[in-house]
Amino acid sequence: MIENQTKTSFFTGISCVGRFTAKEMKFHITLFILAVTFFHGYSAEEEDAGRLLASKNVLNQYLVEGRDLTVEYRIYNIGGSAALDVKLEDDTFPEADFDVSSGSLVAKWDRIAPNTNVTHAVILRPLKYGYFNFTAATVSYLPSDKTAERQVGYTSAPGEGGIVNSREFERRFSPHVLDWLVFAVMTLPSLGIPFLLWYSSKSKYDISKPKKN
Amino acid sequence: MAAKSGKQKNLTKEEELLLQDFSRNVSTKSSALFYGNALIVSAIPIWLFWRIHQMDLYQSGIIFVVGTIVSTYLVSFAYKNVKFVLKHKVAQKREEAVSREMMKKLADDKKMNKKEKDERILWKKNEVADYEATTFAIFYNNALYLVLLIIASFYVLRNFNPNINYIFSVGTACGLLALFSTSTK
Amino acid sequence: MATNGWIIFVITLFAPLLVAGDTCLSPSVKSKYYITTEAAASVDTVFIVEFQLTCKNGLKNLNLYADINGKFLPVTITDDSKSQYQVSYSDENKNLPAGNYDVRFYDEEGYSILRKAQRSGETNDSIKPLFTIALNHPGVWKGPVVQSEFIAAVVAILVWYVAYSAKSQLQSDK
Repeated sequence: MIENQTKTSFFTGISCVGRFTAKEMKFHITLFILAVTFFHGYSAEEEDAGRLLASKNVLNQYLVEGRDLTVEYRIYNIGGSAALDVKLEDDTFPEADFDVSSGSLVAKWDRIAPNTNVTHAVILRPLKYGYFNFTAATVSYLPSDKTAERQVGYTSAPGEGGIVNSREFERRFSPHVLDWLVFAVMTLPSLGIPFLLWYSSKSKYDISKPKKN
Repeated sequence: MAAKSGKQKNLTKEEELLLQDFSRNVSTKSSALFYGNALIVSAIPIWLFWRIHQMDLYQSGIIFVVGTIVSTYLVSFAYKNVKFVLKHKVAQKREEAVSREMMKKLADDKKMNKKEKDERILWKKNEVADYEATTFAIFYNNALYLVLLIIASFYVLRNFNPNINYIFSVGTACGLLALFSTSTK
Repeated sequence: MATNGWIIFVITLFAPLLVAGDTCLSPSVKSKYYITTEAAASVDTVFIVEFQLTCKNGLKNLNLYADINGKFLPVTITDDSKSQYQVSYSDENKNLPAGNYDVRFYDEEGYSILRKAQRSGETNDSIKPLFTIALNHPGVWKGPVVQSEFIAAVVAILVWYVAYSAKSQLQSDK
């Protein structure tokens, strides 16, 4: 199934490897916000407490072994006051499977003001190919300066994504320049030889223009 | 038609018959040439579908063999048709130069009588026309075949399963080629 | 009354020191950054700036704000023991074209002055950032501009066109 889908062009067919298309992702975020808002409706005691929602998304079009994998976290404060001492921690990427190439899997903000959001991004390199289940990261914070009790929550989970073998990826999505050149070499004799034979005879006997004028 | 017969009046009925006769019965030599060329150009798509469309040579072996055979047949059919159509025209266009060349060559030969000389000229005319029509028919059909193939397999059918893509793009290319060759224009 | 005057005096005396205590003196920055260069790696362009900040007066874990492309973002502390910071910014590719970007960093005080100035509609050129990190964005590669098969098709059509015009010429009556 994957083979058939991925054979479409590198940059047009997005849905082949992972489930991460831009549209889908935005959809996921909205869904998540709605779900959590609803959930929080029960336990909302104080209106003036900070309340955080967090999403985690893989921004890649293609997940490829050894190539950059972009993970983006967004934390929204939908509460009535600032969330304090916010800590985002993602321990869902085993060291044996991923290298961190840029950014940090731990992030702290002193405060996140109400009705604002913060973004955090990390670039990883998958070391192995195959399916990987991208799960949720942890967010903990103090909802207000009155409480010392930390609130712990989770980001959304991007879900399962297929990481493509790097050699397979090269083969499939490279522009095949070499293959096309070989194709050109192969077609050249079947076009060139008959053309040259015809042309030499034509120029030998073609008198229509030069002789008449 | 009037202009044509006026200009090319020196092509006698006898000559026409001879030319026609030669072009209808394709000799074994030129037949082999046609089939050989058709086979080569029909086998080229296998490379594209193997390397770029990632088809497996063994798994899709039967499709490749059948596709190549059918395509070889239709492409050589197109060669023959195009050659037949062109040969007349080429003969008319080249005959002046060919006769002049032959006259020059045979001028010194005093043993040959007029009839013999005429026969030699006619034979040469036929040879030149046959040669040009054959080589040009191969060149033209090969070029058209490759255009049809690339457009069909990389644009029209690009999102199809490679097997279906192969069957239909090769089928379209050789089918259209054969169809176009039957028109005399 | 006398005591009150004394207190005021003390505060005015130490006020500059207190302010100085909040400001990072002669900051030295070690930074590296990442920018998306391939559309395959990310649908949006992502900027990640990581830096380590050392202040002469030994301040650590400051609350910093970054100004990227006119947007203010809180700077994330990623490792408090090493005074390591990170700023992440992402936007659609078309909003972040290739070129040079200066990321200006402000401390809390500088940021609030800046916001005040902005609110009152003043130009904020006079407020100097604590430090600036320059980024160079080479642009996002979205795959080859022209696909190989397009070139192949164009070449094939050209060859066919030559063949076709030669054929028409052969078949003409002239």
